Amino acid sequence: MGKKTSKTIIVLILCICVLSALSGCLGGREINDLEIVIGMGVDKDKDTGRILITAQVVKEAAVGRSSGNGGGDGKAFWNVSSTGNSVFDAIRQITHKTGNRLFVSHNHVVIFGKEVAAEGLQKYIDFFLRAHEMRPTAMILVAEGRAADVMDAKPETEKFPAMNISKLAKSYGFTSHIYKVNMKDFASNLMSPASAALAPLVDTSHGRDKESRDINVSGMAVFKNGEMVGILNHDEVRGLLWVIGEVKSGVLFVTSPGGQGNAVLEIIKAKSRVTPEIKDGKIIMHIEVKEESSLSEQTTAENLATDEAFEKLQKATEEIIRHEILATFEKSRELKADIFGFGEMLHKKYSKEWKDIKDNWDEIYPTVELDIAIESKIMKTDLLKKPASPDEKEK
Amino acid sequence: MFRYIFKKTRSSSLKKENNHKLQGVGQGNVCNVPLSSDLCKNLETIKGILHDSSDVTVHEFNFGHDRRSRGALVFINSLADKNEIQKNILQPLMFGSLLLSNDADMDFNSIESIRKNLVPIADTLIVALLSDLVGNLLAGAVILLIDGSKEALAVRVGKGEPRAVDEPATEAVVRGPREGFIEDVNVNIALIRRKIKVPDLCVEKLVIGEKSKTDVYIIYFKSVAAPELVEEIRRRLNSIKIDAVLESGYIEQFIEDNHWSIFPTISNTEKPDKVVAKMLEGRAAILVDGTPFALVAPMVFIESFQSVEDYYSRLFLASVMRFVRILSYIISALGPAIYVALTVFHQELIPTMLLISIAEGRERVPFPAILEASLMLFVFDILREAGVRLPKPVGQTVGIVGAIVLGEASVQAGLISPIMVIVVSTTAIASFAVPAQTDSGTILRYIYLALAGIAGGFGVIMGLLVTLVHLASLRSFGTPYLWPVAPLNLSGLKDTFIRMPLWTMSKRLYNEKGSDSG
Repeated sequence: MGKKTSKTIIVLILCICVLSALSGCLGGREINDLEIVIGMGVDKDKDTGRILITAQVVKEAAVGRSSGNGGGDGKAFWNVSSTGNSVFDAIRQITHKTGNRLFVSHNHVVIFGKEVAAEGLQKYIDFFLRAHEMRPTAMILVAEGRAADVMDAKPETEKFPAMNISKLAKSYGFTSHIYKVNMKDFASNLMSPASAALAPLVDTSHGRDKESRDINVSGMAVFKNGEMVGILNHDEVRGLLWVIGEVKSGVLFVTSPGGQGNAVLEIIKAKSRVTPEIKDGKIIMHIEVKEESSLSEQTTAENLATDEAFEKLQKATEEIIRHEILATFEKSRELKADIFGFGEMLHKKYSKEWKDIKDNWDEIYPTVELDIAIESKIMKTDLLKKPASPDEKEK
Repeated sequence: MFRYIFKKTRSSSLKKENNHKLQGVGQGNVCNVPLSSDLCKNLETIKGILHDSSDVTVHEFNFGHDRRSRGALVFINSLADKNEIQKNILQPLMFGSLLLSNDADMDFNSIESIRKNLVPIADTLIVALLSDLVGNLLAGAVILLIDGSKEALAVRVGKGEPRAVDEPATEAVVRGPREGFIEDVNVNIALIRRKIKVPDLCVEKLVIGEKSKTDVYIIYFKSVAAPELVEEIRRRLNSIKIDAVLESGYIEQFIEDNHWSIFPTISNTEKPDKVVAKMLEGRAAILVDGTPFALVAPMVFIESFQSVEDYYSRLFLASVMRFVRILSYIISALGPAIYVALTVFHQELIPTMLLISIAEGRERVPFPAILEASLMLFVFDILREAGVRLPKPVGQTVGIVGAIVLGEASVQAGLISPIMVIVVSTTAIASFAVPAQTDSGTILRYIYLALAGIAGGFGVIMGLLVTLVHLASLRSFGTPYLWPVAPLNLSGLKDTFIRMPLWTMSKRLYNEKGSDSG
């Protein structure tokens, strides 16, 4: 017994000795010594053309206090920027201003200025993917103007612009007019030779006055080979989301059967299936979309809650969805950018044929034919069974 | 090098053992001399052995045929009940013997005949050896010596003033019997006997302590407890060499399996119902005279998280409470360590907004987190220790001063971050939720905290692994400490993390050889 216990004690002591020797490389850092970065912007310096990194750093002291007595401008964040020859260089240059190393593990968004995006993200994005502290789940966005301006716009309800922006991107499901893209997804699309990458586009133009600018996600930027080649507007984004099955919810305007007003449908559920087919040298994509919605609002006095009306509304809905998909496809044809990821689907199903197609995909993509089958269903009319107007038959 | 260290430690422990044995031999001085038939000589010898102690009373008297027989009572003033002596020993001997004086069969020089005819007391013992005589005398018996007899009568009329049976302070219950053990072991055995009315209940007496001669009882169910377990307890108890047993803790430290473990392998309780319940599971209890704390062996780790009320109340809340206790123990051991590991090493694991508020709270704190945590824990331990020893009204003051001055003021002064106060106070409260493991939790807390400060989560995991290996290696009288989890026993699990209905627990689990009725 004595031998066993003394052995255990020695093992314990050894463990502690070994651990204390390791402490150097494990490297603890006190929270006080950290500059917590919650958002980063990448721009080009106007004068020198060097890379300008803007980091949004949390001012811990100002977080708990209401603005006014906190000293300074009462903002809970500090946008600190510096230029450098590369992203990493610029980030390290920032330490000349902060005194502490930037702690980027809590970085929620990376915003690229339009200028940078148009030039090509490949050489800017490397560090964000490579550094082990960076989160691959950070949202990626493109600013309509300069990224630094977007990060300056102070939101009304959130304390930090960066958090607000990442929230905007994540809440795409309410309208399905935009889509969230994180670093990891963006990078994998960037690396794929076939697919085009997308990133939400933010702008700050809609402001009441100069002081308070509102941040607005206005669409999605389309990247080809890392360069921004075009923009999808809200409806075009939804056309894309129908196909890739990412429509969560949203509002559909359908002209009522009587033609006097609109039926407003809320999308409850949407599913999609895409099957590629190569027939006689032609590439056909069979797209099946199943959609369920509810009647959420109507701007007409007709009673839409009848089987016949439903039938017509569903037909009309299907047409709208088809139209949205086709419009988006048309746009992507123009841009020669495979935003739907058709290339990858072909790759999976026709891996042999893909080898031949691969090199000319940009040319072949506009010739792809779509076969769209849509099934729309109105499930409920919410709390009203009839519109709030006198019944025509009883009159 | 390590082999050298092993040798060193082994040889030193051997030496200690030898010393111990030598001491034991030196103690045997009480003579195994038989009594003489001469009363005066006997009295002289007894006085000599007791060094003429002033609390020893020797009362000589005459009785029998024409008061020709001479006798003497020897007792210790403070231990014997004088009223009892006068009424039930002296009176029958001096006056009752007159009625018998014409009786031809009555022999006033025979202790045996006196015991049978003249002493109306049930608990008597005839002693022939001087050592037995002295032993009984010191245990509180009245010794009757008669001139011409080589024997003496030890009459046990011990005057005890036992404390009333009261609700134990450490194990108060909301539902359940409120009686607790007291210092008098006879009362304690009575409390157990009153619950169990079968002859199966065995009570074995041992006397331990060179000087204290303390009564120690092993109590178990003959048909339930494994004979090997009882034999092993008996063996370990018999090998104890100690001057005095003042509390059952002395016994515990001598007979426990691993003296160097921070985990207790013998449980203790003040509640008779708990002892009986554990004995019914096949364990054996050890009761020690002079303390309300009974020992129960073997003990498994999960027992620490069980409470008698789990079985008295309905099973739903009981199961939830068991989870609460297990979680509390984890918090009490790991709370500060995890906080330090997260805030110093793994800030990326903390949700952003939480990290920001932690950072905000720590903004003015001048110490590293590990020092901050150690300071607070140390202050808490000071408060606890001070509060326990002080009388209740003063103890409350300590609590208030501790809470206000140290909790509130240290945060306002910017010495401690508010979140650290929350962490430490949660840890402190959690540590009291599992009374049986409060000791181990307190020690582990400091060890894990140190490991977290050195190597973060990696260090904590290493510490946990070592603890787990240690726990798995522990045995309590042959039972693996982590039973029924390791080794896995499915029917044992019915009363581990949740408590299944009582009617599902029909097997006795601790004893596979004993009878299985239940």
